[in-house]
Amino acid sequence: MLNKTIVKLAIPLAVGALALTGCGSDSGSGDGAVKIAFQGPLSGDNVALGENMQNGVKLAIDQANAKGDLDFKIEYVAGDDQGLPDKATATAQKIIDDPGVVAVVGPAFSGPTNTSSPLYAESGLVTVSPSATNPLLTDKENGFTSFLRGVPNDNMQGAGMATYYAKKLQAKKVYLVDDKTDYGVGLATVAEKGLKDAGIEVVKKSVPQKTPDYSATAKDVVNSKADALIYAGYYQDAAPFAKKLKDAGYKGAAISGDGTNDMKFVELAGDASENWFLTCPCTDATVEAGTKKFAEDYQKEFGRAPGTYSAEAYDIANMIIAEVKKAGADVEREALRDALAKASYKGLTKTFSFGENGEFKGTDVYLYQVKGGKIGYQGNINELAG
Amino acid sequence: MSLQEFWDYLVLGVMLGSLYAVIAIGYTLVYGVLQLINFAHSEVFMLGAYGSLIVLQLVSPGDNPSALASIGFVALAMAGSALFGGVTAYGLEKVAYRPLRRRGAPRLIFLITAIGASFFLYNLAGKLFGRDPLPLPEMYDNHTVFSLFGAGVNITQMLQFATAVVMMVALDMLVTRTKLGKGIRAVAQDAEVAGLMGVDIDKVISRTFIIGGVLGGVAGFLFANLNQVSYTMGFIPGITAFAAAVVGGIGNIRGAMFGGILIGIVETMTVPLLGDEWRSVSAMVVLILVLMFRPMGILGERVGRAA
Repeated sequence: MLNKTIVKLAIPLAVGALALTGCGSDSGSGDGAVKIAFQGPLSGDNVALGENMQNGVKLAIDQANAKGDLDFKIEYVAGDDQGLPDKATATAQKIIDDPGVVAVVGPAFSGPTNTSSPLYAESGLVTVSPSATNPLLTDKENGFTSFLRGVPNDNMQGAGMATYYAKKLQAKKVYLVDDKTDYGVGLATVAEKGLKDAGIEVVKKSVPQKTPDYSATAKDVVNSKADALIYAGYYQDAAPFAKKLKDAGYKGAAISGDGTNDMKFVELAGDASENWFLTCPCTDATVEAGTKKFAEDYQKEFGRAPGTYSAEAYDIANMIIAEVKKAGADVEREALRDALAKASYKGLTKTFSFGENGEFKGTDVYLYQVKGGKIGYQGNINELAG
Repeated sequence: MSLQEFWDYLVLGVMLGSLYAVIAIGYTLVYGVLQLINFAHSEVFMLGAYGSLIVLQLVSPGDNPSALASIGFVALAMAGSALFGGVTAYGLEKVAYRPLRRRGAPRLIFLITAIGASFFLYNLAGKLFGRDPLPLPEMYDNHTVFSLFGAGVNITQMLQFATAVVMMVALDMLVTRTKLGKGIRAVAQDAEVAGLMGVDIDKVISRTFIIGGVLGGVAGFLFANLNQVSYTMGFIPGITAFAAAVVGGIGNIRGAMFGGILIGIVETMTVPLLGDEWRSVSAMVVLILVLMFRPMGILGERVGRAA
């Protein structure tokens, strides 16, 4: 009796095991396709920011395949980390386990970059982020040896905000809010330092993401008599906050960073977003001469204008493709990583090259302002501040 | 904090608290009749918000509608959220809880089912409506109407507070004065005996769910009108309102109202005093203190006796 039971159990188990190993040997490279992955929020609260970049990467891959001068095919692999640090490790592992992947565009957000970079470092798979701006990510002690940053970090963005407030708007007192994420806290810390150095009084508060009601905070802003405000966080929270600020009768200036720089912010906040300043180390692809053609292609392909970091993600994907082209389709992950770290690539938006620990070389931050329900491009923030 | 600031935050706290109170009633009603914590109530709340969004997208208010049209849009949106909330709660009872009740499943199974239903519903909503937050179309031009102790009150806040009060008063009257209310109280006090006395228990329970669902749905609309609609919006207000229901004495309707407003005030007052980071902490400290000194809650008794 007992033996029969064991046999009954053992047969499906054995069959299952065989089937599994069968799968294992089947998958993998096969036809010599090179895969480029993207890691970022493709679902969850800040999905718009992830999709902007994903589309840029897809467009670059499609165009490279269509050109016909490659002796291999490039495939796109999506890695959805929802923009959450705790989801990011599983996403990264999945990408690493795909042997065809030679490089990753992303991770998009700073928190997920922090948690997934040790895994990438271990596997030698290079990640080039178009948007993770927390300054600490390139700290030597992290050992994130596979991380390259394709964007000036928040030291530049935060400093840019501070300079603009100090010189251009001559603010006396700034209310500074971070959202408790790696990104928000990093940006706020730098902005605070910049403001204090300029002799501006700062009220610093933390409002964690997903606060159900911003009206008390908005009241606090008004009561503090601050004449300017900085919000360091993402659009999903910036929008209700902007609404409540308007309701509370706040009349001062407001500025937020690249996490808010998306049309979604304007859609969600409506009139309340009017006159908000937004900074971004990204240029506006639809305005800058170099990216006009890209913007048209993008519009044709996806039926909407490119968003924040679309063009940067496109550039980085192209940079990777160019390096793979040089090295050939059978390039090793480590070799590609080392090649990219040393490379210099002139993209549509800017020239990509990396300094120590993969830090981006370059400092340009751009200013935008919401006007008439659109995010209007103003120009380089340091030039504007004068 | 100056006296004026105190009034400002108090008014804001009562506004927020009135919303918590309306959600908390949903928990308390269900607990009263079934002794079940309906953790899927936060999803009833969330789906109510989507209901109002869908209705508003259908009728699509343009820019600056006239005053009369505004009232119409608000009423339609509210009806949409009430319908969604009520149907969701009714469906939940029918699909998730009634089969368990029929089989006399242990309490724990109900609780796990509630959590499962909650996960199911919010992921379903994410799948159906997209995972990006959506704004409610503007139904009126929001401006300050009057001031209360020097604190300005705008249309959105007035709407929020007035709706909450009307709903709470109506519910209180329903439970104390009508036949259905009598049935609810009877089932809450002792379902078995109520059944023997000729009360149709199933009917009473499913109507209780619908009432809680309607209230929760409308609260979802009011919340979305303040912020935005998203599939994850139910969780934090839901848990806070649940805590409020426990603070007031779970199972007690007036307790839920009281607890909701108390928690709203505590949360809001925390912002200027300690900062936003502490708002949930202080709400939970209130919960812990109440549980330490009055484990049944401040007005704690079952629905059957208190209301």
